[in-house]
Amino acid sequence: MRKTETPAKAWVAGEIKRGQAAARLPIMFGAAQIVCGILQAFCAAHLLAAIFYRAKNLLDIAIFAAGFAGFAMLRAAAQYRAEMQNFERGAAARHRLRSTIFSSLLAAGPAGLRAKHSAELAGIAVDRVEVFQGLHAAWIPATALAVIGPVIVGLAAFAADWRGGVILAVAGVAVPAGMAVAGIGAGLAAAKQFAAMTRLQIRFLDRIRGISTIVLAGRAADEAAALARAAEELRHRTMRVLRVAFLSSTILDLAAAAALIAIVIRFLPVLHGVPGLIPTALFLLLLTPEFFAPLRAFAAVYQDRMAAEAAAPDFAALPVIAPAAPAIPLRTITAESLTLSFDEVSFAWGEAAVLEKLSFRVGGGEMLVLTGASGAGKSTILDLILGFITPQSGKIFVNGQDISTLIPAARARLIGWIGQKPTIFGGTIRDNILFARPEASAQDLAEAIRRAHLTDVIARLPAGLDTQIGEAGFGLSGGQAQRIAIARAFLKDAPLLLLDEPTAHLDPALERDILASLKNLAAGRTVILATHSALAQDFAKATGARRLDLDARRHAKFLTVA
Amino acid sequence: MSPVRTILGIWRAEQNYLAFGALLALAALAAGVFLMANAGATAAAAILGAALVVPVALQAIGAARVILRYSERLVTHDAMFRALSRVRIWFFNGLAHSAAGGLGFRRAGDLLARLVNDVEALDGLYLRILVPGLGFVVLLPILAVFLARENFWALLALLPFVLIGLWLPWRAAGLAEHNAHQAAAAMAGLRNAALDALSGLREVKIFGAEARMLATITAREKTFLAAQRDLAGRVARLNAAGMLAAQAGILLVLLIGLTAPPIAAIAAVFVLTAAFEAIQTMPRAGVLLGQSRAAAALVVAAATTPPAVPEPAAPAPLPASHAISLDHVSFRYAANLPYVFESLSLQLPAGSRAAILGPSGAGKSTIAALLLKLQAPQSGKIRLGGADLATLPAEAVRSRIAYLSQSTHLFADTIRNNLRLGDPTATDEQLWAALDAAKLSEAIRALPEGLNSFLGEAGSTLSGGQGRRLALARTLLSPAPILILDEPCAGLDLATETAFYETLNTAATGRTLLLIAHRLTGAEKLDRVWRLAGGTMVAATG
Repeated sequence: MRKTETPAKAWVAGEIKRGQAAARLPIMFGAAQIVCGILQAFCAAHLLAAIFYRAKNLLDIAIFAAGFAGFAMLRAAAQYRAEMQNFERGAAARHRLRSTIFSSLLAAGPAGLRAKHSAELAGIAVDRVEVFQGLHAAWIPATALAVIGPVIVGLAAFAADWRGGVILAVAGVAVPAGMAVAGIGAGLAAAKQFAAMTRLQIRFLDRIRGISTIVLAGRAADEAAALARAAEELRHRTMRVLRVAFLSSTILDLAAAAALIAIVIRFLPVLHGVPGLIPTALFLLLLTPEFFAPLRAFAAVYQDRMAAEAAAPDFAALPVIAPAAPAIPLRTITAESLTLSFDEVSFAWGEAAVLEKLSFRVGGGEMLVLTGASGAGKSTILDLILGFITPQSGKIFVNGQDISTLIPAARARLIGWIGQKPTIFGGTIRDNILFARPEASAQDLAEAIRRAHLTDVIARLPAGLDTQIGEAGFGLSGGQAQRIAIARAFLKDAPLLLLDEPTAHLDPALERDILASLKNLAAGRTVILATHSALAQDFAKATGARRLDLDARRHAKFLTVA
Repeated sequence: MSPVRTILGIWRAEQNYLAFGALLALAALAAGVFLMANAGATAAAAILGAALVVPVALQAIGAARVILRYSERLVTHDAMFRALSRVRIWFFNGLAHSAAGGLGFRRAGDLLARLVNDVEALDGLYLRILVPGLGFVVLLPILAVFLARENFWALLALLPFVLIGLWLPWRAAGLAEHNAHQAAAAMAGLRNAALDALSGLREVKIFGAEARMLATITAREKTFLAAQRDLAGRVARLNAAGMLAAQAGILLVLLIGLTAPPIAAIAAVFVLTAAFEAIQTMPRAGVLLGQSRAAAALVVAAATTPPAVPEPAAPAPLPASHAISLDHVSFRYAANLPYVFESLSLQLPAGSRAAILGPSGAGKSTIAALLLKLQAPQSGKIRLGGADLATLPAEAVRSRIAYLSQSTHLFADTIRNNLRLGDPTATDEQLWAALDAAKLSEAIRALPEGLNSFLGEAGSTLSGGQGRRLALARTLLSPAPILILDEPCAGLDLATETAFYETLNTAATGRTLLLIAHRLTGAEKLDRVWRLAGGTMVAATG
């Protein structure tokens, strides 16, 4: 917990710095509102003063009335502009955060997802980012105006009557000073209340997430009672804290009321018989609420900052990945026939060595079968070829060229891949196959469908190729989904084909069927097949493939060490 | 009944606290308005030479306002905490009894988490909508009296007051509620695009689709931000209109004041200014109300959905035996979906150990859902100890079955409390015995606080394998005679999985065991193995 606190704080501080730089315009509009408010108060004071004059100067009245109305309109315009600007600042900040997160996750590839589930990451990048609207659109401008506002109003008060100005200044200084003496900081009430709500929400969210576990264990009634007890206890504790914390708001109230009364006292004895002082006195009375308004507004947005800080650890912990720039000049490669070789390649996840000095070579159009128990390193070999991870030592060659010198796009063009379970994206079955090559012609698409034996499957679907599949659409069986992956591979037509347990989730009859399709796909390509299925190994043997048994290799190594 | 009313109905249990808080808020508001009126009137009197000292009333009202504001904050917050805890418990109970509890059977955690956001959206109803709304209602007559004292025509200033306090919030609420649906749909689109890109990251990289995926995400985000911008713009216009209306009202009263008695005129202007300041947040409250209405509709719908399997009208007593039989059972999730299986039969005598194998999506977990009464078959009979499952109450059936699946949740709580979910009366000795059986006691003893160690969210203090073992220990603690384990080792490596089944062979003796998996490791001791594929079940040999 403590470990994540500092980077999170630093992260929020960085956000605030960026936000402040961007918020100059809306802060200026906010200050313009305050200036308009002061000028309005000035006009209003003169109109009020005119109430007491026997002989009313109609021209003056018209001027002040017009001034009041004009400044009101300017103020409304500034308010509108500030609101929209603030929204845009928040929207821009959220867009920036989302773009950064998605770009780095997409650049990092699957290796970046090892620590967190993809749904969790999507939740952070999509839903959690929303809390930063409050920080950028409300907290940052309100914080600036909580300083600027009272200073402007105070200066106006000084200019009108220095004694009145002193009263407001004293009240203004008394607020933070009083809070410091009482040992309570600005916004403390909001912070404490927010922390309490957060704790209640976390517990509640956890219980709701696990509600089926609770219901199936027959403990719903007990848990509801426990939830009620926890909420009650939390309320008691929170209220004890809030009793002190609310004093900070009370100090503000006290200062506002005292300033108002002090201003009345200041003018009371001297007003009668000095008509020139009347507008000044009224002006200062009207300024008093304006003086405290920005301070109140600041207290009201404090929880926006708290919400941002609560979310920050998630963001501070995200991997920031700069697109890797290898020092070696990058090359592209086009290959009809492709030879792949590993030269003394070693790889470890942290301390745990997976591959040690592995060397092998697969010639053009040949097939290599990787066998071994889970964790023996089959998927690691494929991920190394794909470039999702890089070896700690050793090199991988494609047609004699070091694969790490290829630009990523060129490497991706060389490789076709089919895993245990293909991802079916939200969209039509057409979109899903064309995912492999969006610009493919209708003819190429039809050919891929035919060769993947999807023709009958598609004919039976309610809307044919335009049937929606995926999460919200028509459910496909495991075999059908695998055929989509095969169609994608046909469409991509890459010279190197990586097959990672392509039949692991299928029953034997279906497995035989899919293997037959894979045989067509494999023809003429260099293939690496990772599998522990007996059926798949038989199939590979029939095509004359060589076999690399990672368990045996390990075992042999173990023997020599022993 | 409207969903917001349903929520208010839940608050009724705390009505005294809520009412007292509101009363204090109104008193504080009135004190604030009178303070301004008094300050203005005193200044006016001084100008006319009628007052030379500050009236006691001014100081008294000032002091009263400060004290009232403090008490208001305390009491309203206390009342709010009470009310929102009621709503949460109501929601939990509702979800537990409704179909949504069954939703959690599949991976529905994220869906439920979003519903929790909607529950949180209701927290502002009292402090930010109801109390300010009441403030408006109370200010209206006070204001009318002060204005009428100045001049009959000054009552015209009530028009902008009503506009800001009533009409603008009403408009804003309508806009916000409409927008909430739009924004939610756009957000769902964005979420799906993000999930597609991240869960399909392998394919995205392999097919070089990074730029395409990022473009889709950006486009979806743009749609979402456009929906928000639309509301922000409309609300900003309403706010500007409200502000102009307030200034027009003040100018009117100022000008009328020129012909009115000075003290009354000044008081009217000051009161009106304070009153407008008090209600300036009302359009914002309207926005919140609109959003709360949309949230309340979702929350109430989720909490009041009837369960998928209705409870029997005349429940039969739970039979003593716990043999299970499925007799020609057919099931599909909806009338427009294909049957998961048809005419499925199987016998599971008490104390037997069986496995159902098959590819994912074959309907293995559906059998568990039927046995747990989360779903009911369209035809055929399921019997527990000879009694038709349909005639038994769900809770009674579930008391006979301990269920462990990959979605079994570990709570952000102590290890002790997590284990006691299986048996609330278990002693520490029994807890340790269960941990021993699940081969986890050593790891727990190594923790500085042992059983009192706190698990992070979703058990993040433990490794994946340890988490599954803790869930197993909890399942073993349950006194239920039937164990259903649904892919209990998903996501674990083979060595851990083998060790897990070796544990299970000795730990669950004497109970009926039904194991659901897509393959076996060879370590399981089983009496019978079935394979479920294509809607039919065949006996298989391991």
